Amino acid sequence: MWLPQLVVRLALWLLLAPLLPGLINRVKAWVAGRRGPPVGQLYYDLAKLWRKEVVWSTLASPAFIVGPAVAWVAVVGAALLLPLGPAGAEWSFRGDVLLLLYLLALARFATAWAALETGSAFEGMGAAREVSYAVLAEAALITAVVSLSLQTSSVSLTTMLAPTAGAGAVLLAAGLFTVLLAENCRVPFDDPNTHLELTMVHEVMILDHSGPPLAVILHGAAVKLLLFSVLLVQAVVPLDQFSRGVAVAVLAGGVLSVTLGVGLVESFLARLAFRRVPLLLTTAFLLCLFALLVAWKGGVQ
Amino acid sequence: MSPGPILLLAAAATLSAIVAGPRSARAWLALMLTGTVAGLAAALVVLGGSVDWEWRSDFALGGEDVHLRLDGVSALFLVLLCVVGGAATVYAQDYWSEKQYPQSAPRGRAWWGGLLLSMTWVLLCANGLHFLIGWELFTVCAFFLIRRDDRRPAVRAASWLYLAASHAGTVFLFAFFNALAVRRGSWDLDAMRDQAELAPLFWLALAGFGIKAGMFPLHFWLPAAHANAPSHVSAILSGVAIKMGIYGLVRFSGLLPVPAAAGWVVIGLGAVSALLGIAFALVQNDYKRLLAYCSVENIGIILIGLGGALLAASQNDAPWGRLALAGAFLHVWNHGVSKALLFLGAGSVLHATGTREMSRLGGLWQRMPWTTGLFAVGAIAVAALPPLNGFISEWLVYLGLFEAASTRTIAAWAAIPAIILLAVSGALALASFTKVIGIIFLGAPRTAAASRAHECGRMMRGPMLVLGGLCAALGLLPLLFWPAIARAVGSWRPGWADAPAPVALGQLSAAQVLLGVAGVAAAAWLWRKARGGSARRGLTWDCGYATLAARMQYTGGSLAGVAAGWFDWALQPELRQRRPRGQFPASAFRRERIPETVLEKILGPVSAAIRQLAAVARRLQHGRLQFYLLYVVIGLAALGLLVWLEGRP
Repeated sequence: MWLPQLVVRLALWLLLAPLLPGLINRVKAWVAGRRGPPVGQLYYDLAKLWRKEVVWSTLASPAFIVGPAVAWVAVVGAALLLPLGPAGAEWSFRGDVLLLLYLLALARFATAWAALETGSAFEGMGAAREVSYAVLAEAALITAVVSLSLQTSSVSLTTMLAPTAGAGAVLLAAGLFTVLLAENCRVPFDDPNTHLELTMVHEVMILDHSGPPLAVILHGAAVKLLLFSVLLVQAVVPLDQFSRGVAVAVLAGGVLSVTLGVGLVESFLARLAFRRVPLLLTTAFLLCLFALLVAWKGGVQ
Repeated sequence: MSPGPILLLAAAATLSAIVAGPRSARAWLALMLTGTVAGLAAALVVLGGSVDWEWRSDFALGGEDVHLRLDGVSALFLVLLCVVGGAATVYAQDYWSEKQYPQSAPRGRAWWGGLLLSMTWVLLCANGLHFLIGWELFTVCAFFLIRRDDRRPAVRAASWLYLAASHAGTVFLFAFFNALAVRRGSWDLDAMRDQAELAPLFWLALAGFGIKAGMFPLHFWLPAAHANAPSHVSAILSGVAIKMGIYGLVRFSGLLPVPAAAGWVVIGLGAVSALLGIAFALVQNDYKRLLAYCSVENIGIILIGLGGALLAASQNDAPWGRLALAGAFLHVWNHGVSKALLFLGAGSVLHATGTREMSRLGGLWQRMPWTTGLFAVGAIAVAALPPLNGFISEWLVYLGLFEAASTRTIAAWAAIPAIILLAVSGALALASFTKVIGIIFLGAPRTAAASRAHECGRMMRGPMLVLGGLCAALGLLPLLFWPAIARAVGSWRPGWADAPAPVALGQLSAAQVLLGVAGVAAAAWLWRKARGGSARRGLTWDCGYATLAARMQYTGGSLAGVAAGWFDWALQPELRQRRPRGQFPASAFRRERIPETVLEKILGPVSAAIRQLAAVARRLQHGRLQFYLLYVVIGLAALGLLVWLEGRP
C-alpha cells in the first residue's frame, strides 16, 4: 500500500515543482506588460539539458557531478518528510522536522562543495554568500519551528503543521516568507535573472555546470521552492479544520498565492545591496522570535 | 567474563610497551594494540552487561587502598579512549617515524603509552588521591607529547601554555578533592547525593574540569596546543583528552549533589562555547587551529546536553533529561571519532605538503584522493549533517531541548535559546567545513608544495578508514549502540536506568539508511548519465578570461569574511594594510591576524599587571642586611601593636 502512495507523492513533487518558476515568470511578465515565456518553460529547459553533453572544468573532481545528485536527493527527501495537508507525510516521526532542516543544510553543503570544485573566484563568492546568509536564515527557521512546536507540544511535522499558528500567524508568515525568498535566492536577496556574476548567489555557484547535472540542480531548486511554499502555507493555515477536498484546494491555493507573492515582490522590488541582506534576515529572525513569544503567551491562557 | 583479568592484561601490555617503546617500534605497536584491544574488550563487557566491575586492593598506595571501578560512565569513555588510541597508535608508526625523527620518535612512544595508561587510570580510579595522581601524570605525558618537535619556538610556547593552564585547573581540582576528603573524612569516591552540604564544591569541579575540557572562556590554551602537537597527538588530545574534562564533570555531577544553578550555568557555558568556538574556527587560516576551535564548539554541544540533564534532574527528574544526556554521551563518542579522523587527515595533509596554512594549499584531491574522501567523511560527521553520526547525537540533544521547551516550565527559558544557538552554530560549522574542504582539497594548487603532495601510506590510511567506518556505523545504525548509551545514562543517575531507545531513533536511522542508499544510487546514475569518466573537459569559466592563475581563486579569508564580520566584537581582528595608490601602484599588502581573544586581550594584560606588581615588590629585596633587620623590627612592632589592641578590654 505504501509503495503506490510513495510513487504518487514523489510524482506530485517532482512533476509539479518546475511549474512554480514558470508561474513566477508569468506574474512578472504580466506586471511588466510583456508576453513572457510559457509557464512550462522550465520543463522544456530540463528536457533539453538532460539530453545535452556535459563539459566540466579541468580542475573539478568527481564530486562536481556527485554534489548535485546528493543535493537533489537531500531536497527531495526533505520534501517527502513534509505533510501534504490531509494526505499526511510519507515518513513521520518525532523530530522529523530537524531531519528536514539538516537535509536542507546537506543540500547547501553539496552545492557549495560542487561550486568550489572549479577554483573560480566567482563561484567561491557565491558559495561564501550561500553558506553565510544561511546562518541567519537558519536562525529564523529554527525559531519558527520552536514557535510551532510550543503551540502543539510536538516535534513532528504532521502535528506541528496541522493547526493554525494562532495569533502569531501573521508574524510567522512574514518571517517565513522572507526566509523563503532568501533560501531560494529570489529578489531582494538574489536576482535569478541577472547575468552579472558579481551580484548573484545561487546562479553564480552553478556557472560551470552543464547538461544533466545542471538539469538536476535546476530541478532541485524548483523542488526546494515548492517545499518552502508548502511549509509556509501549512504553518499559517489551519488545514485540519477543513474537509479533505477543501484542504487540498486551500493548500493549492495557498501555494499559488505564495508564488504570486514572489512574482510581485520580484516585479516591484530591486535587489538589496549585499551589506543590507543581513539586516533583512535579522528582521525575519525577529519576526519569528515575536511569533514565538506570542505562541508562548497563547499557551499560558 | 570479568573485566578484571582483561584490564590486567591491558595494563601489563601497555606497561611493557612503555618499557620496550624506545627500543623497538614494532614491539611497541604490537603491545600497544594488545593493550587497547584488551581495554576495549573490558569496557564492552561492562557496557554490554549490567554489573559494574569493582576492585579494592589489600595493600595501600600512598596511604590509601587502591580502589578501581568500571561502571557505565567510565566504560563509555574507555571505549572512546581505546578506539581512538589504537587508531592513532597505528597512524603514529608512519607519521612520526624513526627515520624522520630519530631522537623524538622513540621517546614519544614511551610518553604515548604513559598517556594512554594514565588516562585509563583516571577513568578507573574511585579514590580521590589516586585520581589526582593519575590526572597529573596524564597532564605531564600530554605535555611531553605536545612538544615532540621542540626545536620550533611555537611548539615550546604552546606546550608551556598547556602546562600552565592544566596546572591552573589542577589547583582547582586539588581544592575540590581536598575539601571533599576533609568534609567526608575519606578519599573514597562513592555516591554521596544525600549530603547536600557538598553541593557548592561543584563550582570548583566545573572550573578545574572546564579548563581541561576547553569550554569557553577557559579554552585559551587549546588551539595552540592542539595545532602544534604532532597530528596523532592532536587526534588523541581533541578526540579523547578534552573529554576527560567532560568525564570529570559527568562523574562528579553524578556522584555529588549539585547546586540549583548548575544546570543553568552549564547549559549557558555550553551555548557560548558552541557559538564562539565555531565563530573562531570559521576565521582561522591554520587548518589544525580551525579543527581545534571546532572542538570547543563540540564541547559546547556536549555541555548543552549535560546542562539539560542537570536541569531536568533538578526538576523532579523530567523525562527529557534522559534524551539530552543520551545525546551528550553519544556526542562524546561521535565527536571523539570524527575529530580524531579529521586530525589524522590533517596530519597526512601536513605530512604531504609541510604547511598548516590553508592559503598555501588547494587542489589536493588529485594527488590525495583517499585523504580527501576520508576528510570529507569527518567533515560531514562533525558538521552534523545527515546521514552520518554527528547528526544523530545533535538530534537527541535537540529532542530533549524541544521537549523541555514544550513543558513551558522555567526550563524552557534555558532550552529555547540553546536550541537557537545550536542551530546557528550548526550553520556556522557548515560554513567552516565548506571553507576547509574548498580551500585545501578543491580547485587548483596554490603553491608548488601543494602541487607536489603525495598520498599517505597504508599505515596512515588504515586507521582513518576504521574511524570513517565508525562514523558511518554510528550514523546509520544508532540503535546498535543505544544499549551502551542507556547503560551510561543509568550509571549517571540510577533512576534513569534502562531507558528504552526512543521509537523515533529507529525511524530516524531507517530514514538515514534510505537516504544514504538513495544518495549513492542517484550519484551513480548521474555519473553514468553525464558520462563522468569520458566527458569533455574545459577551462573554468571566468567571464571569458582564459589565462586563469591559481592565485586568482577565492581565498579562505574571503570565504569566511561575510559571516566573520558579524563576530568582530569577539574576534577583534588585527588588520595591517597598505592600499594600492595612484595610477601605477607599486606595492600593497594586507595582513589580518585573529588573536586568541581571551588569551591576548584578557589574560595577557592581567598577567602583565601581576608582573609589574611583582617588580615593585621585588624592590624590597636588595640584599642589605640593615634593612632586613629594620623589616623584622617593623614586623615585630606591628605584631605587638596588634596584640596590644586585641588585648584591650
